[in-house]
This record gives sequence, structure tokens and C-alpha cells, in this order.
Amino acid sequence: MTQTRAIALNALSLYALAGLLAAVFAAQFLLGELPCPLCLLQRVLFATLAVGPILNIRFGPRPSHYAMSLLAAVAGAVVSSRQVLLHIMPGDSGYGSALLGYHYYSWALIGFIAAIVLLAAILLFDRQFEDDGATQPVAGGVFAYVAVWVVIGLSALNAISTLVECGFGACADNPIVYELLKHGS
Amino acid sequence: MEFTILFLAIAIVMLVAWRGPRRLAMGLFAVVLLACVATYLHHATDVLKLSF
Repeated sequence: MTQTRAIALNALSLYALAGLLAAVFAAQFLLGELPCPLCLLQRVLFATLAVGPILNIRFGPRPSHYAMSLLAAVAGAVVSSRQVLLHIMPGDSGYGSALLGYHYYSWALIGFIAAIVLLAAILLFDRQFEDDGATQPVAGGVFAYVAVWVVIGLSALNAISTLVECGFGACADNPIVYELLKHGS
Repeated sequence: MEFTILFLAIAIVMLVAWRGPRRLAMGLFAVVLLACVATYLHHATDVLKLSF
């Protein structure tokens, strides 16, 4: 795999992360389900996954950038595993509603494990770490440029929605109202 | 509030990764990841009723 193709794949992975963050955002507002603290932490860690690809697009692919995303994915898998285990006992209906038979945290666990496997797979391609002369730093064109700004924008929007949900104090374990809107009404 | 800060922090790390020095971005990334681990340990207080 050439450096150019690796950068395109990194941009594609940013679109996948953006789609995921947008989907959970949409579920939050369309279904009226407020994310719990562990759900929010999983979202943060999905956003954290994006730093490695951004560095790969800007400075060219390096193993250290992939390692950063791997660490974030492992942390995300640990957090979502814990939430799965919290609700694994028979009779427990889980937190929130299920999508295609699985709760958000189960999908998050699948997503983080998929990220670990994909990151390990892309690390197998050594040629991407050799400069092929076709790309310069800050490469990838408009396709990558848009991907980076969409992910940054979605992270900022999540910061705003979390502030509205949790207010200026600690987030409720089982949130049912937006704290800032409650005080405003 | 801690999650708002984490989202803001990771957005800033992304901005630094896109516009700033590489080493700074990697350092800030490490700080945010450690903050995530600390937040997890703070919230993971419920006992898991499981046996392995």
C-alpha cells in the first residue's frame, strides 16, 4: 500500500468516525435518550480515535500515529466491556433502547474491537511508511480536509450537548432531563 | 462537567494535530487519554455481580 492510498484510507476512517458520532447524536435527539456517563466516555474515546488519522494525513503515516489510535481503541473496549458486564445478568433490560438487537454499548464494544483489528491490519503494510514522493505533508486534498473538520465539528457539538445535558456539576448516573434546560424552564 | 471538558480537550487536540506541532499534539493526546482513564476509574464504582 502506497503512502497516498494509506492517507486516503485514513481520511475514510475519519468519515466512518464522523458517521458514528453523527448517528449517536441523531439517536440522542430523535429517540430522546440521554447518554449516561459511561456512554459519554465511549463517545469521547471514539473521538480520541480520530487523532491518529489526522496526524497521518498531515505528517504522513507513521507507526506511532497508529499506536495512538490503538491505545484509544483498547481504552474504549475496556469501558464498553464494563458496561456490557453491568447489564449482562438475566432479567436486566440494559440501558437505553436497543438498535438491531444490541444496545449502544454493545455496538461500541464491537466498534472498538473492529478498530483494533483494522489498525493491526493496516500496520502490516510497510510501504506506506516510505515516502513515495507523490504526497506532501498536509495531504489528502479536499476529501481529507472535509473529514478532519467534520470530526472536529462533531466533537465540539458533543461538548455543547454534554454541557446542556450535565450542566456545570457531575453528570447524573441515569440522566432523564437536560440540566441546563431544566433550570431555564 | 468532566465530559464537557474531555470533549473540548479532544477537539483542541485534533486542532493541534491538524495545525500545530506534532510533538505537542502527541503530548496532549497522552494527557487526554490519561484523563479518560481517570474519569473511567472515578465512575466505575458499581460492583460487578459476576464470577469468573
